[in-house]
Amino acid sequence: MEQPTNLWRDAWKRLRRNKLALAGLAVVAFLVFVAAFGPWLAPHDYLSQNLDLRSVPPQAAHWFGTDDLGRDVLSRLIYGARTAFLVAVAVTLIAVGIGVILGAIAGFYGGTFDRFVMWFTDMTMSVPQLLLVVVINASLKQPISTWMETQYLASLNPIWRNTMLADFVLVFGSMALISWPPYARLVRAQVLSIRSRPYVTAARALGLTNRIILARYVLPNAMGPLVVAVSAGLGTAMVLESAFSFLGVGVTPPTPSWGNMISDGLRVWTNSPHLLVAPAAVLAVVTVAFNFLGDGLNDALNPKGQK
Amino acid sequence: MTQTLLSIKGLSKRFDLRAGAFGQTAITVHALDDFTADIRAGETLSLVGESGCGKSTTGFCLLNLHRPSGGSVIYDGQDIAGLDEDAMRPFRRDLQIVFQDPYSTLNPRMTIGEALSEPILFHKLATKAELPARLAQLLADVGLTPAFARRYPHELSGGQRQRVAIARALACQPRFIVCDEAISALDVSVQAQILNLLLDLQDKYGLTYLFIAHDLAVVRHISDRVGVMYLGRLAELAPARDLFARPLHPYTRALLSAVPEPDPRAARSRQRLEGEVPSPLNPPQGCRFHTRCPLARDPCKTKVPAWREVAPDHRVACHAVTGKDQTNWETP
Repeated sequence: MEQPTNLWRDAWKRLRRNKLALAGLAVVAFLVFVAAFGPWLAPHDYLSQNLDLRSVPPQAAHWFGTDDLGRDVLSRLIYGARTAFLVAVAVTLIAVGIGVILGAIAGFYGGTFDRFVMWFTDMTMSVPQLLLVVVINASLKQPISTWMETQYLASLNPIWRNTMLADFVLVFGSMALISWPPYARLVRAQVLSIRSRPYVTAARALGLTNRIILARYVLPNAMGPLVVAVSAGLGTAMVLESAFSFLGVGVTPPTPSWGNMISDGLRVWTNSPHLLVAPAAVLAVVTVAFNFLGDGLNDALNPKGQK
Repeated sequence: MTQTLLSIKGLSKRFDLRAGAFGQTAITVHALDDFTADIRAGETLSLVGESGCGKSTTGFCLLNLHRPSGGSVIYDGQDIAGLDEDAMRPFRRDLQIVFQDPYSTLNPRMTIGEALSEPILFHKLATKAELPARLAQLLADVGLTPAFARRYPHELSGGQRQRVAIARALACQPRFIVCDEAISALDVSVQAQILNLLLDLQDKYGLTYLFIAHDLAVVRHISDRVGVMYLGRLAELAPARDLFARPLHPYTRALLSAVPEPDPRAARSRQRLEGEVPSPLNPPQGCRFHTRCPLARDPCKTKVPAWREVAPDHRVACHAVTGKDQTNWETP
């Protein structure tokens, strides 16, 4: 039987032999599942407080116990996964989008635009991440919620009352603004090396337009390393979101995020260690899983690097 | 007299490189200098020479894949040298190229069918409905079955890939194909097959080839005319039979005497060249060959030899060659 094989099929074959990467993939798949079906999986409402059951340790009704307001920790972890995943995917998509467009055009056409993009990339990379996010949050959060309030008063549309929306947009925006440079550099380097391959020259000799050559000849062949970078980038974005939420410049409570759960748990860890251990363990496992998966994908997509 | 397909005059290519931390040092590579020749409809014109002598650059400049630094290429009454991509596009169909490396000449993410459909659909050479038949025809032309259309390049052998690369060039229904070392990377047995395929296709479709090679035995076998290049300049251009029987330029003589002789008892007069090919970064003044030429005299060091027709259809750039005998020195 003549099966058309290609890079992705071969890569999958190699990935299947890598146990750590498979474990990482399983955890990531589970995370996606939990994030997608969170509302149906969570045993309790993540916001409902049961003041009779405050800070109880893990038990049958509450697998991971409850926090100091009597909220179910498992449910909050599940909703925290939704937050983390939403932020990671949105930030990575925006960052990859900016990176691919800038990197591809800069690498393919070169010249002044290339120099400008690289200069802009270096400049962005030199901005301290934490500082930028703090500045954006400190300067924009108040004006945006004021603006949303006036919009609500003008239209009475309840969507303007949804402060989570503003919160997420700020988090996505500020994180994406600092996350795109590595993607731009990676794509540019790939495009630079691919644009001089004979099949690209052949495409030019056929008279194809630059846009077709870039879209059908250059970019598809630049995707391998990008997939690896995206996998690692998703993990990084989750950690970053948790870090910002931990420091109070990310997702605002009561929206659950692993970061603000760790932050809350830290204050009471001597009395209720489960409030710190549960979110920290989840974050650690997910981060390690993304790294294993990224390494596995790297090996699977670049077989020459293997022994 | 056959018709001229491409008339090339003074075609030159310099690559300007910038070195140093601020790009302050400009280095110029003289890859191709003052290439003048006509390519006749239906012929196979071969270019030979050592690596780095500008053979491939000539092919690339003809097709505007490298933008020439100077000179003209007249095709269909129009100078196509240095046209921008949009202006060049109508000519691309007619002028095609087959590359040396069969492993990187095809896009690894496209099936053979997709790779061949691209030029057909882009240039609207067939409708979507006619496409399968056209693909089958192209594959049959290069000796492959229609089943290959669904395969990816990495499933093919080097020879098969080169057949696909030829089919891709044919898909445009061209008049002229540059074969840039098209068989050099293949096994000897496969080389012969591909060579015969190219000759068959030339008969079938009336193609004109610019055949860039370094295997003199192959060149002798397939060429109508042969051009010998040295360090970016044409040294000699003559009908194949003429060139191999009576080489006039001292470099051509040295090159031909280096061809291995299969008969060990045959008398050989091996002419050795001293030294190395000078760097194209800083080519010698005057005749570029004078640093290694056994016939070099003073004028060779200062004066670039003219490109002259010294016998019917036999052109040489050498001060020492006047007629059929190279030892006659003209006074410069």
